[in-house]
Amino acid sequence: MIDTLPLTATPARRATTLAGAALAVLIAAAGCTGPDSARDGGTPAVAPRAVSVTGSLCDQLPADGEPGSPDSLVGQPADQALGWIPVLTTFEAAVRATGLAEELTPTADVTILAPTDDAFAAKFSRSHLDELLLHDTDTLRGLLRDHLVSGALPVAELVSAGTVTTLAGTDLAVTAHGDGARLDVRGDGDHADAHAETVCADYRAAGARIHVINQVLGTLPTTAGDEDDHPAH
Amino acid sequence: MGGKPQSILKNRCSRTRGRAAAGVLDVPDHSSCLEMPLRYRRTTAGVFSALLAVTLAVTAQPAQAHGQLATTTAELTVEPNQVQGLTVVQGDGYATLAWSPVDGATDYQIERTAVAADGTTGTPVIVGVWRPNRQVNNSEPTFADAGFVPGNRFQWRVRARFGTEAQPYSAAVTDTTRSHWGDPAVPGQNLRTQWETALGAQYTSDVNEYAYTAAIDELSERVRVVEIGRTIQNRPINMFVIGYPTPPATPEAVAATNPLLVNCNVHGNEPGDREACFIMARQLAFTDDPATLDRLSKSTMLILPTINGDGRAANSRGNSTGQDLNRDYSLIRQPETQAFVEMVRDYRPIASYDGHEYGNTNTGDLPMLPPRHQNVAQGIFDGSQDMIEGHMYTQGAKDGWWACPYGCTGANVGLGEETILRNTLGLKNVINSLLELRSSGGPTRPDEGNTANNRRRKTYSALWTFQQFLTYHTANLGDITSARAEAITFQSANTGRIVFRGSRPIEAYPAPHPGDTPPPLDAPREDQILDQPPCAYKLTEEQYHGARTDGPSGRQTTVAQRLAAHGWKVIKVADGYLVPLSQPERGLVPLLLDGQAAEGLVAGERIAPTLTGTHNGPLTVSGVACLAGATVRGPIRVQPGGTLIVNGSSINGPVDASGAAGFVLTASTVSGPVNATGSRGPVVLVGNKVSGPVNVVNSAGDAALVAGNTVNGPLNCTGNSATPVNLEVANSVSGPKFQQCARL
Repeated sequence: MIDTLPLTATPARRATTLAGAALAVLIAAAGCTGPDSARDGGTPAVAPRAVSVTGSLCDQLPADGEPGSPDSLVGQPADQALGWIPVLTTFEAAVRATGLAEELTPTADVTILAPTDDAFAAKFSRSHLDELLLHDTDTLRGLLRDHLVSGALPVAELVSAGTVTTLAGTDLAVTAHGDGARLDVRGDGDHADAHAETVCADYRAAGARIHVINQVLGTLPTTAGDEDDHPAH
Repeated sequence: MGGKPQSILKNRCSRTRGRAAAGVLDVPDHSSCLEMPLRYRRTTAGVFSALLAVTLAVTAQPAQAHGQLATTTAELTVEPNQVQGLTVVQGDGYATLAWSPVDGATDYQIERTAVAADGTTGTPVIVGVWRPNRQVNNSEPTFADAGFVPGNRFQWRVRARFGTEAQPYSAAVTDTTRSHWGDPAVPGQNLRTQWETALGAQYTSDVNEYAYTAAIDELSERVRVVEIGRTIQNRPINMFVIGYPTPPATPEAVAATNPLLVNCNVHGNEPGDREACFIMARQLAFTDDPATLDRLSKSTMLILPTINGDGRAANSRGNSTGQDLNRDYSLIRQPETQAFVEMVRDYRPIASYDGHEYGNTNTGDLPMLPPRHQNVAQGIFDGSQDMIEGHMYTQGAKDGWWACPYGCTGANVGLGEETILRNTLGLKNVINSLLELRSSGGPTRPDEGNTANNRRRKTYSALWTFQQFLTYHTANLGDITSARAEAITFQSANTGRIVFRGSRPIEAYPAPHPGDTPPPLDAPREDQILDQPPCAYKLTEEQYHGARTDGPSGRQTTVAQRLAAHGWKVIKVADGYLVPLSQPERGLVPLLLDGQAAEGLVAGERIAPTLTGTHNGPLTVSGVACLAGATVRGPIRVQPGGTLIVNGSSINGPVDASGAAGFVLTASTVSGPVNATGSRGPVVLVGNKVSGPVNVVNSAGDAALVAGNTVNGPLNCTGNSATPVNLEVANSVSGPKFQQCARL
């Protein structure tokens, strides 16, 4: 976990001797490019499952054999798996900021509708995003819960269900969209026209399905759209 | 670091600035290079002749030359408008493509195709678009292709376009790119960051940073890692101190080597430069490259990877309180910025880069900008511009990276806020630049929808910049230290107007290079200008020591603590505290202490000079006297507890201060001896001409500053509680230099 800091392990003193294990992860191993993410499977006799992800963005994400490939995430805790999908840095940071990782454990299967970094940037100004990540984590937690659905549902099951309800209680109408799904927020409120599409669906993690989506759902107002989106140095 | 990219077959426009080339080659320009503007150069440019450059390059690297020949002569049939002479040279994480221009081309497309171990090729992808505004010499187009996985093998082709009409592709060149730096079989060299291991899918976490940092510290004699402070959430703020064969042992000893600094990551959501810093630290720690080791023997490199560790962990721009730290380097309300400013005070870097990412898709690869605030000394601004326009633009044109002025698309950015590190450091007499990495691929790098590709391009472009920075720094140490000495002397003289906000203009760089839209003008308004500078600001006890509400809860600091962090001289007087303007960071003083300041710290009382004309006869000082542009025909005696501040004056007679609360003498001429004995507070002697001995003895306060003086007589310092310093601004002393001043 990135957010736990071993304060006792103060670095940077020549006198300290590095633990062998700590050093080992730092050293280049010829012929091996990625961390040993296969160990989570724990059953060496079984061939790795070929996870098939679908959507227009999948080609741009880590592919077979690369660190963060869909196969390598099977069996990882969901919050860890999110950290390997490079377009989800905002969502992943939000999960850590809100302590939501506990709700993503395998004891309660979950579907994660994870908006991309571009989606967050199109939704919130930079200062608003900082406010959510650093101060207003209750609001952020509510926002994230509008991106979670009980049960680890493949995108095909989302479509066949027709309607799903997020953990925040919002109904989403689900329709087929290419190989993936379109999600429409149901209701007659201000956000009735909010919707998103899956851009890389059907990542599998321990007790979870992760569908990368291209818009932020939920009921928060859009604050992006001025100079604060990309503040100067 | 070894093997800098060099063009072998082409008459590359090696525009080397005269002073950089001094001692190597300095020959008249017979090349066909486009004449480039050299506005900030102080010496005449010398340029390698094309013929000589080629001869030297082939002599230096014959094997590479043969390889290039083999690949570029493969295809001999020439179609109309087909790009000719394509070459590729590998850098760290990038490949420089160079070709001969095609008449009438409006742009070029760069195509890359993966080549597998068995020779089969993948799908060709357009990875780059070269446009005329990319580099300063359009006669020698280059493009730094980046984003690929280091170590993979590729084939490249380039084609011209006339408008939208694509012309035939060049013959292909094929090459294997450089792997992640360092031999996997050599301890230390084989270290890798989390970002490298994850092939860009993840950034290096804080925990991985500490392990990697500690491993380098342990394995390299060249590196000492120091913890300069802690973040609010108690993360260590580490700094690599790198020298060869070993770094100097103390901050003062490091300062004596004219160090250079890279601040890698102030905004937590802009981590690209930080990854480059980790890689560069490993390279410097373990390289065998003689040129790099030579550079490290001439100076000390300071790399500060993570000033904002809490923000990096949270992926936020601000620190854990939400404060944008790059709006806090003058006010230092936060522990992170305070630690940074104290480090600058103690290690005294003389040049710096500050790493960022920039959300504007239409800008160059590497927007840069000098300190522009008008209170920055002219030489610091000019030196920063020389580093950017004189070196980075020129080297960028050689290696294919598009350095450009920040704000080059008309955005209202890059102004004079002294709260921004670029300006703060300029006001601290540090030649420096902002560095932005364009966040997205933009129109010129169309293959960066892949996040890992995008991250790699950004990080390796930053690595290129920091490597170039080190090269520039050590090649120009004489000019940089001269500019800094002049700046310190100028500031200490307290001459000229004060500008509270406002920037120096930056002219458009001549087309076709960007600059058609230069950074905004940002001239100061009339009400932001103070024509007659005060002599000092006076703060009350409450202003100086009173509790403050700015800063994080439980961690607020007083004005006294902040001025001490900046390293400013403060004189305790009967009714408060005097901060004289005549000190090295003079340009920053009013920006914090004047009531008219845009983002001031406290509104001090302006203390006007007490004497500006001529005084005949002896002058005795018992309270506070401030002489500015004055003439005194007679001796001056400062009585115990008195304060004397003298700027730009002429004194015919001895100056004698015994037990003074403060004694400040700058830019003045004294006929007779100068004695500061038993001073209780600051002693500042900068830029004076003294005909007679100078004695600084038995001072009780902080180290006396004795810099840039011409002393016709001996210089004697004894019994001072702290050894006097000169900030590497030497004094010219005709007589002997005694005791504590022996090395000043």
